[in-house]
Amino acid sequence: MYVPDYYEFCCGVKTVAGHGTLERIPALLSDMGAQKPLIITDKGVSGAGLVDTVIASMAEALPTCPVEDDVPPDSDLKVVNRLASVYRKHKCDAIIAVGGGSVLDTAKGVNILVSQGADDLMAFTGANALKQKLNPLIAVPTTAGTGSEVTVAAVIADHEAKKKMLFGSPFLLPDAAVIDPRMTLTLPPHITAATAMDAMAHAVEAYTCLSKNPLSDAHALEAIELIRTHIVNVVRNPDDREGRLALATAATLAGIAFSNSTVGMVHTLGHSVGAVCHVPHGTCMAILLPYGLEYNLHKIEEKTAELLFPMAGSEVYATTPPKERATTAIAAIRKLNQDLFDATDGRHFTCFSQVKDPQGRQSITGPDIETIAATALGDGTIFYNPEDLDFEDCMMVLSAAWDGAPLDRSKIKQG
Amino acid sequence: MEDFVEIKPKGKPLKRIYLNLMLWFVGRAIQASAKVDKKVKQEFEDLPKGYNFALGAFPNGPWMVVGKDDDGRVRYLGRNVKDKTIDLWMTLKSVEALFLLFTFQESTPVSNARSRLFVEGDLPHACAVVRIMDIVQVYLLPKFIAKLAIKRYPRWSLKQHIIGRILVNARTLIGY
Ligand SMILES: [Fe+2]
Repeated sequence: MYVPDYYEFCCGVKTVAGHGTLERIPALLSDMGAQKPLIITDKGVSGAGLVDTVIASMAEALPTCPVEDDVPPDSDLKVVNRLASVYRKHKCDAIIAVGGGSVLDTAKGVNILVSQGADDLMAFTGANALKQKLNPLIAVPTTAGTGSEVTVAAVIADHEAKKKMLFGSPFLLPDAAVIDPRMTLTLPPHITAATAMDAMAHAVEAYTCLSKNPLSDAHALEAIELIRTHIVNVVRNPDDREGRLALATAATLAGIAFSNSTVGMVHTLGHSVGAVCHVPHGTCMAILLPYGLEYNLHKIEEKTAELLFPMAGSEVYATTPPKERATTAIAAIRKLNQDLFDATDGRHFTCFSQVKDPQGRQSITGPDIETIAATALGDGTIFYNPEDLDFEDCMMVLSAAWDGAPLDRSKIKQG
Repeated sequence: MEDFVEIKPKGKPLKRIYLNLMLWFVGRAIQASAKVDKKVKQEFEDLPKGYNFALGAFPNGPWMVVGKDDDGRVRYLGRNVKDKTIDLWMTLKSVEALFLLFTFQESTPVSNARSRLFVEGDLPHACAVVRIMDIVQVYLLPKFIAKLAIKRYPRWSLKQHIIGRILVNARTLIGY
């Protein structure tokens, strides 16, 4: 185990996980001195009936509860400002964010405004601009992947000024994350697969990138093992409540790991594929994860070898010669992607050439790859990748990931 | 009004002298590399005009400021951060952390990963500045030290190594 001479680790989110935890929300709120929450969510979540489930679970203690479900996937400053006025109009004193990363980021932005009594979010951008605790915020994740319920950051776009505002503060951590498998029970199999692979990428990158530390490592290893054990089962049997809870727990574990040690090139390239071609984040993660490990292999062979244990189990680990453990771990990820491809009738993609948009058109075309590579060079996660990446390196990895062929390791530039 | 008395932080004078010298040298070397090295030139071309960045230690420096002026020229702008608008701050959390970085006991990415380096500003531009500084370090440092300071030592031609090095170092010293 690697112990850096200095590291920081923080996880201040009370996690309430298990069957029937939604019913605990009113009690959690009253512990925080709040009794009038505003529910913030998006149309997809409310359309799937999940908000009704939340409201029904709290009905005894909280008979009325205002709901705002108009958070678009590319939420921005305008939405935040509008929701802040709704919060004030209803005289709310807490927020329940039901949804994924976009909903939670929006909720965090609203919470800054209403807690600080401010009108201008701009004054709170950057690292550690917040100096005091905000009003109670409870996160109820509806996918098992992003881990945003335990991260200190929030990104809010300002579409008019064409920029993104980045907020980072321990006060942005939700006061509690409520993880109830009922929230992920209706996720379609291919989305379950992709989001779980996002969590897998968080754990694997947290364990292998430059900012790793023993505390985040422990979370990462546990997350990988839980995902490996349950993912295929849950994709085949969506009603598997125990498996759903295990995956949701893994996503939170992986979220804690990566928010304390950050991620590397899988996310560098994945963010850029998402930005340029609007491919879902989890899909990018599943496809790129083996390539990230392969590209960095000469710098992280030992750490990758250690991942074989949670990735394939003790027996495989023990019977694999130490020199082959790293490459076997990478092969195990490819095999997992293939198993998920089979279990979803080909809706979980294993390479970029397979990815189609809802109209059946190719999502990523040849010329896109250059734009993606150029965009990647400006993504902050590139700092934390063990090996350097220039434009040609990005092109090489993206082209291989398009074909689905393993990287030609002899072409990787080493210093 | 009485003259403002500047209170200078006490202690560590040798470290400060060394760091001031290094920052001066690196700042001028960035200016020189922007004329000599194609990649550095290209990176600066992609930065906006009037873009200034500062590297130094929290809270009282020392600092160095490098900027691209309105005509697109890259200039070392000295050690004063107070009279300029800085678009990108690369702040080491203490003089010790800056010392680790500039004695090449620690690379920029590792310093960043260990929470000793804080970057404030537009991220794509910050990435470009880090790439510029990596190249500059290759010009300034002998290979065995540069290998500690950057992630991947570039494979340059012998000509680029020798001529580039002479040009960058000469221009750094004469400040042209
Ligand atoms: Fe992710």
